[in-house]
Amino acid sequence: MEERFDFVIVGGGHNGTTMAAYLAKSGASVCVLESRPECGGGQENTEPVPGFRIDPHATYLYGGAAPGFEQLELGKYGFRFVPYRSMFGLVTSDAAVNMGGRWDRGIGEESLGRVAPPGQGDAMRLFQVLEGEPTLEFLRSMFWTPPHPANLDLEPADLPWAQTMRKHLGQLFSERFLEMSLVELFDESGTWEPVAVANSFAAWYCGAHPAWEGQALPSLGGLMLVGYSSGSPRGGMHTYAHSIIRCALAHGARIITNSTVEEIVVQNGRAVGVTMTDDASVSEKTIWADKGVISAVDVTQTFQSLIGRRHMDAGFAQRIDDINFKGGSLYVLSVVCRELPRFHDDPNSFPDETYPSCIVWPSDSWENFFKQTEDVYSRKAVPKIEKEHLTMMLCTHDVYDTTRSPDGYRIISPIYVQIPPTHYDVSGPAGLNQMKEDFTKAVLELLAEGAPNMTGDNIVDVFVNTPYDSEFRNPGMIAGNWYGIRQSEDQWFMNRPLPELARYRTPIDGLYLCNHTSHPGGLCLMAVPYNLMHILIEDELVEPGDWWYSSPWYIPESGKRPATKA
Amino acid sequence: MTREHFSPQLRPGELPVPEFPEESEFDVVVVGGGPNGLMTAAYLARAGLRTLVVERRHEIGGGLATEEVLFPGYYSNVHAVYHMMTDYMPLLQDFDLTKHGLTFVVPNAQTAAVYPDGQSLVLCRQIEDTKDSIAKFSRTDSRNFGKVMRTWRRVVDELIAPATYIPPMPPVDMIEAFERTEIGREGLRLTEMSPIEILDEVFTDDRVKAAFLYMACMWGLDPNESGLGFMVPLLIDRGLNKGLCYGGSHKLAGCLSREILKAGGYILDNSEVTRIIMEDGCAVGVEAFDGRQIRAKAVASSLDPHSNFLRLIDQEQSDPNLVRRADEWEWDKWSFFTATAALREAPSYRADDPWVDKAFMVLLGCDSTDAVLSHWERVLAGELGPELVGHATTESRFDPTLARVSDGSPHPWAEETPQPPASRHHVAFLQMHAPYDLAGGWKERHDGLVSEALEFWGRYALNVTADNILISSGESPVDIERRLPNMVRGSIKHGDYNPLQMGAFRPGEDCEAGRTTIEGLYLCGSSSYPGGLITGGPGYIAANSIAEDLGVEKWWRPTTKMSRYIEAYVD
Ligand SMILES: Cc1cc2nc3c(=O)[nH]c(=O)nc-3n(C[C@H](O)[C@H](O)[C@H](O)COP(=O)(O)OP(=O)(O)OC[C@H]3O[C@@H](n4cnc5c(N)ncnc54)[C@H](O)[C@@H]3O)c2cc1C
Ligand SMILES: Cc1cc2nc3c(=O)[nH]c(=O)nc-3n(C[C@H](O)[C@H](O)[C@H](O)COP(=O)(O)OP(=O)(O)OC[C@H]3O[C@@H](n4cnc5c(N)ncnc54)[C@H](O)[C@@H]3O)c2cc1C
Repeated sequence: MEERFDFVIVGGGHNGTTMAAYLAKSGASVCVLESRPECGGGQENTEPVPGFRIDPHATYLYGGAAPGFEQLELGKYGFRFVPYRSMFGLVTSDAAVNMGGRWDRGIGEESLGRVAPPGQGDAMRLFQVLEGEPTLEFLRSMFWTPPHPANLDLEPADLPWAQTMRKHLGQLFSERFLEMSLVELFDESGTWEPVAVANSFAAWYCGAHPAWEGQALPSLGGLMLVGYSSGSPRGGMHTYAHSIIRCALAHGARIITNSTVEEIVVQNGRAVGVTMTDDASVSEKTIWADKGVISAVDVTQTFQSLIGRRHMDAGFAQRIDDINFKGGSLYVLSVVCRELPRFHDDPNSFPDETYPSCIVWPSDSWENFFKQTEDVYSRKAVPKIEKEHLTMMLCTHDVYDTTRSPDGYRIISPIYVQIPPTHYDVSGPAGLNQMKEDFTKAVLELLAEGAPNMTGDNIVDVFVNTPYDSEFRNPGMIAGNWYGIRQSEDQWFMNRPLPELARYRTPIDGLYLCNHTSHPGGLCLMAVPYNLMHILIEDELVEPGDWWYSSPWYIPESGKRPATKA
Repeated sequence: MTREHFSPQLRPGELPVPEFPEESEFDVVVVGGGPNGLMTAAYLARAGLRTLVVERRHEIGGGLATEEVLFPGYYSNVHAVYHMMTDYMPLLQDFDLTKHGLTFVVPNAQTAAVYPDGQSLVLCRQIEDTKDSIAKFSRTDSRNFGKVMRTWRRVVDELIAPATYIPPMPPVDMIEAFERTEIGREGLRLTEMSPIEILDEVFTDDRVKAAFLYMACMWGLDPNESGLGFMVPLLIDRGLNKGLCYGGSHKLAGCLSREILKAGGYILDNSEVTRIIMEDGCAVGVEAFDGRQIRAKAVASSLDPHSNFLRLIDQEQSDPNLVRRADEWEWDKWSFFTATAALREAPSYRADDPWVDKAFMVLLGCDSTDAVLSHWERVLAGELGPELVGHATTESRFDPTLARVSDGSPHPWAEETPQPPASRHHVAFLQMHAPYDLAGGWKERHDGLVSEALEFWGRYALNVTADNILISSGESPVDIERRLPNMVRGSIKHGDYNPLQMGAFRPGEDCEAGRTTIEGLYLCGSSSYPGGLITGGPGYIAANSIAEDLGVEKWWRPTTKMSRYIEAYVD
């Protein structure tokens, strides 16, 4: 039987399922096709051993400021949130600093006051100044606003986030500020080195490289996203995915798993449907889309594989080939243990009740930082297993969310180490897995060096997924890159993934992009679909109800119907 | 070590995001989102009742679990794999689940047994194929099997299978009803026999008998006990019609959740229910571990009797009969130990029949009835081994979507140099009956037993070797209980199959059709009639009772086979 929908969405990851919820709630008929047995994409938790839930990919709620929570009523569909008393800590070879977090600022002040040299500036104050509503506005202007139309010449100071910054932090705002890197910002404010380094690592893990010029604000934006919520969904990121998926289903979306799309059908320059591989779980392997095909898988796969050169000119094809995966490839460990890491063998380094959910170790100097970032961005690289090249982000949710492991155990998951993208490995993408054992060993040794109790009987189990493993687990995650493609100025905002694709439209009529390879990039923010909704409304393909509101900073395409509510 | 919930006290409205409400009200709240709980909810939500499923785990599905235990990259069905009732479940008639991508693969080669000398027996869905294979061992047995199956098929098709979805009759009424027909009388005759006695009537060759004995009793019938003999034809006939849920058993749960949500129902996971709220002797709602309260006109629990009557309901406010029944409840005789492996190549058996490799289930070590019986005796005595008996399945042979990894790149098109064509890896498991209280302790013996199991498997499938095995893992009865605490002591059926815990006695005489003596409390899980496994029986029966009691119109009708049964025996 012929299957037809208004929209067919390729990929049931975070962005595909959120798009389905938005469209279904707008009354459109939608079908999502997901390759894996379970939707959610990077928004996943698995239970490799009964009772222990690990985070192979996404781990923190960055999306707390998303309009989606309200618009899609995720609470109704089971969303719950656990605020963490301490989000962040750092450890150097002789000190442990608990930075606390939004819900208990006292922890950080007390700890810093004890350890850090007195009287030094703290660039982190910058976003503490912006609490509550102003942060919300700042974040929404940066992440939940579609890039403006290409033909419009905006002054940098008029970019949406620059507008909100001027509004709330006028005294800090300057032309020079817009040109700065985060590292310069830290330097200028005289931040104590370990704190600056830890925050730079955190910023790097939140998206933008802190040493890139002109990125101080976007770099901070990533930190502010995670600081805004300072916690995680009860039970892990996948339960957040569940609430999105359930919203989509409740509004009538069809979501089909174990169905890999192999081709987007293009007729007369228009995307009209998709075909799936022969092993897909439905009988009819072609599904037609009357209004649009939405590719919620990465841009590279979309054009190189699902569309193919038949429908691209050589110039465009080259630009797609050159899209850069550097950065964001995470080597992920999960450790089941009996007690939490005790740094410097000191049981009070971090007491249980305020254990920082995320710890940077070792966070001594810029030397660590630059050694690692340079490795990661080099071409034809091999991950270095020498200690001085490794810094880890050690995450645990266990203290604050008791659903993650049985009593008597702790689970440290994920431990992230950023490594060069597999695709640039000298011995090919599979090369990384040949050194998996050695690399894992090096990371665990470094951990034990900081926290001597992380050895022997205290370690019950270790699970590892390399970026190469991640590619298999999630065919949309090329190079295991958490933001799909590099989050640099050349591939950010107006330029993401390419300037001509920035407004989610493509050279193929009826084909739209809805993956983290589009603005605003990686993280489970519900932002790409929210932004794309503006475009679909402009193209008169959907008409959401009263629940919809657009971004106040959104600039409509001239000659189109604006997505702003009348 | 106990842990507290360290979250700071936030003022209401201060949270960054809206949450599921602290207090809510529904028509029906279902405790536990296993197959039965989900079915109850799917029927009732579509009947227009405001329905909520509350599930302890992060995934719904209970025994319908497809998990990445071979991490990273390989999914396996850690609990139910063999779906035996797909031909009869009213669910599959009442809901069109194929539109969500649900499909069952029912291979013709169903169960093979391989022997140390390379001989093999292949039991097929198509009776004549089975006869051909039995004839290699005994022409008489082949003929007897053909004959007996003509009766057994009718016993199943007319009696036992439809009765799975109809509330049980008290024994006296049942005997009276079954006496009315020839097939009914055969059912009664078999009931009074033990599995061994029944098989002795049919088979002479010991190897053939051993294979059928394993099939008849693998789900927990006592080989020597009479009183449940009617289940022998059922388990053998259904054992020859097992289906695999394509995309993983969890997909069935996913499809049910789609129907629940589409009909306006809700699901709340990560929410262990810690209390059934009682007021004036009636069940009026549930409370979850995080303090959330959900009130409802009907509380339907799919949990085990201990959870229901000894933990969740304050015993003071409960019916003492139910408390006593729960106290006396007998757990399953044995549980399972499963060794699971990701392999570069699918297991290839040393056997004289090429169909063995294609068989859904392969029995190993079933070399004689003595071998099988002493295996169970050892298990009952708390031992596993040294001689092993078990069944193996290569899941990815029928469902390639479970193994995500292949040799060669996942993105050949994104490579700088062209890659060789990828060949997918496989996932397979070997499962064995196992005691919960293992001599020497599970913790101590777990890893050793995984190695022993793989070594044993490798004696039959010569390529199950260290070179071919990429990752392996094992799940013991203790692990089963840790994943699903309602499977107490690894009881996959929430309680033993014995004559005192079956039929109208499951879970107790005063509980009828999912109703209990506590107003507002219903039972919809495997500890209720007809029992465990993915039958959909308890969930369907409870849905009927709740719909009747809450006075909503049932939008569904019994299947033709059920109607015929009702006409012949119930009315
Ligand atoms: C290690 C790591 C850590 C991270 N940490 C965080 C964090 O803490 N917080 C946070 O918010 N985010 C985090 N992220 C980022 C977040 O997971 C991703 O940005 C997000 O999942 C992107 O969503 P998406 O829908 O664009 O892509 P994905 O989630 O990758 O979804 C794509 C989906 O498409 C499917 N697919 C691919 N190809 C096909 C095909 N041909 N046919 C059908 N289906 C297909 C895939 O199976 C997948 O389900 C992290 C990511 C990684 C890798
Ligand atoms: C290893 C193994 C192999 C099996 N193989 C097969 C097979 O091949 N074929 C077959 O038909 N059957 C098989 N079974 C049996 C089958 O899985 C079960 O009989 C079936 O799942 C029972 O369904 P149920 O809905 O009654 O209960 P369950 O599936 O046990 O579901 C109960 C649900 O309640 C939840 N829960 C528990 N406590 C609470 C609480 N306090 N609050 C809220 N929720 C709670 C659980 O998490 C679970 O989701 C197997 C089982 C195991 C363990």
